[in-house]
Amino acid sequence: MTQTDRPATARTPRRRGRWNATDLGLIAVFAALVAASALIAAIPVGGLGVPITLQTLAVMLTGLALGPGRAFAAVGLYMLLGFAGLPIFSGGRSGLGVLAGPSAGYIIGFLLAATAVGWLTVVVLKRTAHRTGRLRAILLFAAAMLSSIIFIHGLGILGMMVNAKLDFSKAFLADLVFYPGDIIKNVLAVSIALALHKAFPDLLLRRVRTVDPRP
Amino acid sequence: MSGHGFLLAAYVPGTSLVHRAPLWLKFLLVVGCGMTSFLIADWAVSAAMLVLLCGLFLLSGAGPARLFRAVRPVLPVLVAIGLFQWWQLGAPTAARIVLNVLVCVVAASILTATTPVQALLDGVASLARPFRRFGADPERFALTIAIMLRSIPFVAQAYTDVRDSARARGLERNPRALVLPVFISTVAFARQTGEALAARGLGEPEDPED
Repeated sequence: MTQTDRPATARTPRRRGRWNATDLGLIAVFAALVAASALIAAIPVGGLGVPITLQTLAVMLTGLALGPGRAFAAVGLYMLLGFAGLPIFSGGRSGLGVLAGPSAGYIIGFLLAATAVGWLTVVVLKRTAHRTGRLRAILLFAAAMLSSIIFIHGLGILGMMVNAKLDFSKAFLADLVFYPGDIIKNVLAVSIALALHKAFPDLLLRRVRTVDPRP
Repeated sequence: MSGHGFLLAAYVPGTSLVHRAPLWLKFLLVVGCGMTSFLIADWAVSAAMLVLLCGLFLLSGAGPARLFRAVRPVLPVLVAIGLFQWWQLGAPTAARIVLNVLVCVVAASILTATTPVQALLDGVASLARPFRRFGADPERFALTIAIMLRSIPFVAQAYTDVRDSARARGLERNPRALVLPVFISTVAFARQTGEALAARGLGEPEDPED
């Protein structure tokens, strides 16, 4: 899982004019999407109406929709402006103070998870270029779960251990409550990402194909 | 949440010493508090630091109500952690953990309460300047920030509209119907924005790809 060695590891995401105006628009608007998703109320799911928050959904979808480089830039921009003091973190929190709170690990995990799932998405889309059916959906779901378990949950647990001084088993238990929601969100994210790629083939699909024209 | 009003919530206009302090100094204060909070081993030191920072916050003339509002979002989770660690590790350690988090939160809110949003964003945009030699373009960076800010109300409005129309169709429990149209219209909006920028000669890389 070395996810960040290829794209946009630069501190600031403008890389020698590789991105055109549409890419800038996508980066900016997806950053706004992550911010708005953190601010709006949770939506009810299924017959029981268990509410889920939409922020992780938006983060994973940014990776699934834009690929690693632009997803890193979009989520990075969101974090940067949140740290600068705009009240765009969940619950209207803002500023560098959140880095001291117990949820700091989750926020840093968002950036890495979006990049990782973006990278895996490109790999999956390339490998399944001629089989667009259920296999692609399952592989994308696996990619999303893998990225969120390693980065969002992993760093989330680490953040609770460092900032709230919980030991590993307690932090692990505290983190466990997020798993059911996460599975639902990742299923939803993949289904939405596939619809997005169908509606906008030049978002990522055509890029992937032009990079690697397979016979 | 239409307009940019919600982004201005934290700033309190004033002319105090804290307001006039340069941005980098306030930023250094926040980072410094974050660093030292890992080194402090005694809760009394944390408490003294917290009192000092609260004093600094009040010196800016923002008032105790603002201070409380800045701290309020973290209070529930801090109470939970405090009680849990009191039970696990004893009162002094629990107090130190909670106070250290409070120190960082108050330090960060001193920065946001005394600096106008525009100055903060200019500060962020200037972060790109040292990276110019690596191909960073501060103007495109600032442009991206501006587009993001203007897009937040659009996305929030899209969520509201889609929720209303899903309810009208009796689909308010169907997450796909609640979320997918938001993302479709968001991507369409992003591409329109990109085209509008390109039409004005903005945002394109300076030297064409070879």
